[in-house]
Amino acid sequence: MTAPAFEEFLSLSVDLTAFEETDLLGTGLAHQYLAKVRDACGEEVVTALLDAYRAARAEATGDDGRPDPRRLDRALRHRVFSDERLGPVARNVIKLWYAGTWYGLPPEWTDCYGARPAAETSTVTAASYQEGLLWRAIAANPPGAKAPGYGSWAQPPRIDPRYRKGQGHDGTG
Amino acid sequence: MTASTIRDRHDLIAYLHTAMALEHATIPPYLTAYYSIRSTTNSDAAHIIRVVAVEEMLHLTLAANVLNAIGGEPDLTRRGFVPTYPAYLPDGEDDFTVDLRPFSPDAVDTFCKIERPGEAPRDRARLVPEHDLARPSLVTSPTADGMRFYSIGEFYAEIIEGLEEVASHDPGLFRGDPSRQVGPEYFFSGGGTAIPVFDLDSARRALEFIADQGEGFDAGIHDEAGELAHYYRFRQLQLGRYYEVGDHPDRPSGPHLAIDWHEVYPVKVSARLADYPPDSQIAEVARAFNVEYWSFLGLLTEAFTGQPNLLQDAIWHMFRLRDGINRLVRNPLPGSGGLHAAPTFEMPIGRSTPDGPLVVGEAAAVVTP
Repeated sequence: MTAPAFEEFLSLSVDLTAFEETDLLGTGLAHQYLAKVRDACGEEVVTALLDAYRAARAEATGDDGRPDPRRLDRALRHRVFSDERLGPVARNVIKLWYAGTWYGLPPEWTDCYGARPAAETSTVTAASYQEGLLWRAIAANPPGAKAPGYGSWAQPPRIDPRYRKGQGHDGTG
Repeated sequence: MTASTIRDRHDLIAYLHTAMALEHATIPPYLTAYYSIRSTTNSDAAHIIRVVAVEEMLHLTLAANVLNAIGGEPDLTRRGFVPTYPAYLPDGEDDFTVDLRPFSPDAVDTFCKIERPGEAPRDRARLVPEHDLARPSLVTSPTADGMRFYSIGEFYAEIIEGLEEVASHDPGLFRGDPSRQVGPEYFFSGGGTAIPVFDLDSARRALEFIADQGEGFDAGIHDEAGELAHYYRFRQLQLGRYYEVGDHPDRPSGPHLAIDWHEVYPVKVSARLADYPPDSQIAEVARAFNVEYWSFLGLLTEAFTGQPNLLQDAIWHMFRLRDGINRLVRNPLPGSGGLHAAPTFEMPIGRSTPDGPLVVGEAAAVVTP
């Protein structure tokens, strides 16, 4: 596994999940998730996904060297999500981070692009359910794991203000 | 035998504040090692460290009970309550360094030293001069200038004798509000029974429990209840086997422990906020952890000063701290050559105020020697 590919996968995941890099690394599963996508879809698809992502960022980057959030949003929809091969994979990467599960891609996808393992739904490790971002997103603990402590339910959920309604983090609403 | 350094209730109060700080000071090193272990690995080691860390929390509570019993005012947010790591503990004439380390043979060596305070030889003084002011001991005498104790055991022996002495001429010594005492109804499943303190007898039992649970017992490695002293719990990690009843201290004969020193996040030893790249996300996470920890210490202070039922809230607070530490140790610390981030436990000076936001890192930097 090459380090630049990992860095790009992490950066892609930040843009796909709207969680920060420290949150993603904080799951302890980033390397396993990239390996999972590779195992499921094959190296060629992962390379194409990262290429498309790089192109989208380049397209959205202005004179200040930073991607404009609105333009990045459009570029990602255009180059990644609407692509018949890459779109389903990118959506699966989001689900992977949020739920800790690789959801099988439909037969139409594997019929076209091979990569049979991609059709199988499977978890990554025993920890991936617990570390799913969805629990952070709703400020709840994964049922049956990460015990929150007696009486913790009397406290309001602690959701990062930037994720609250009306405070879209990327300005796209 | 030297003259007592405890003459009255005020001296005792000063000593018990030191005792609380000492008991707390062992917890961050244990937590750092514990959470550096990758999840689902090293369960033997993780279990041993966790049990001891929880018992240190009981010791902290017992020290607060004794302090409350004599009318003191526990305050875990007072200046210097959380030491700057590395901290220093006595090992006789010398001292040793207590760092915040990942789980490693070095960390276990330190834990063994923490838990086995030696007794001063009969012909030696219980107190020795502090050699190096840049290495302030966690058992510096709060009343005898420039002196520290030979060992943690001697430190507690001084307090127990001081209590007996002061109680003998001050009938009002145990004047504290009994409703502040934390008993088993508030502190449970925590490595022993919380002993409420109302008189000399219960104070002695609480302090002897603290001192005895850590060090080895003269009679053997297990106590009367069949419980292994902390020192021997950690010794198992050094020797790679569990003890059976009746074993020689150097030759445990129980099952082997499965230890994999590599299944550990290589967290930076005694990391400081200054080690974090300024303005980085990870620095923000580290600062946020310190603020959480600081507010947790504030909660414990309230629990120990009249609202023991707040210890129930402390439990979910600790679970949040757990999540915060896990997030840190799984992140690489940029610019550290592959080491990982870790909580720094740098606290602000003085009390928190409800109005003013805390500037944790900067304030702590002021007290850094």
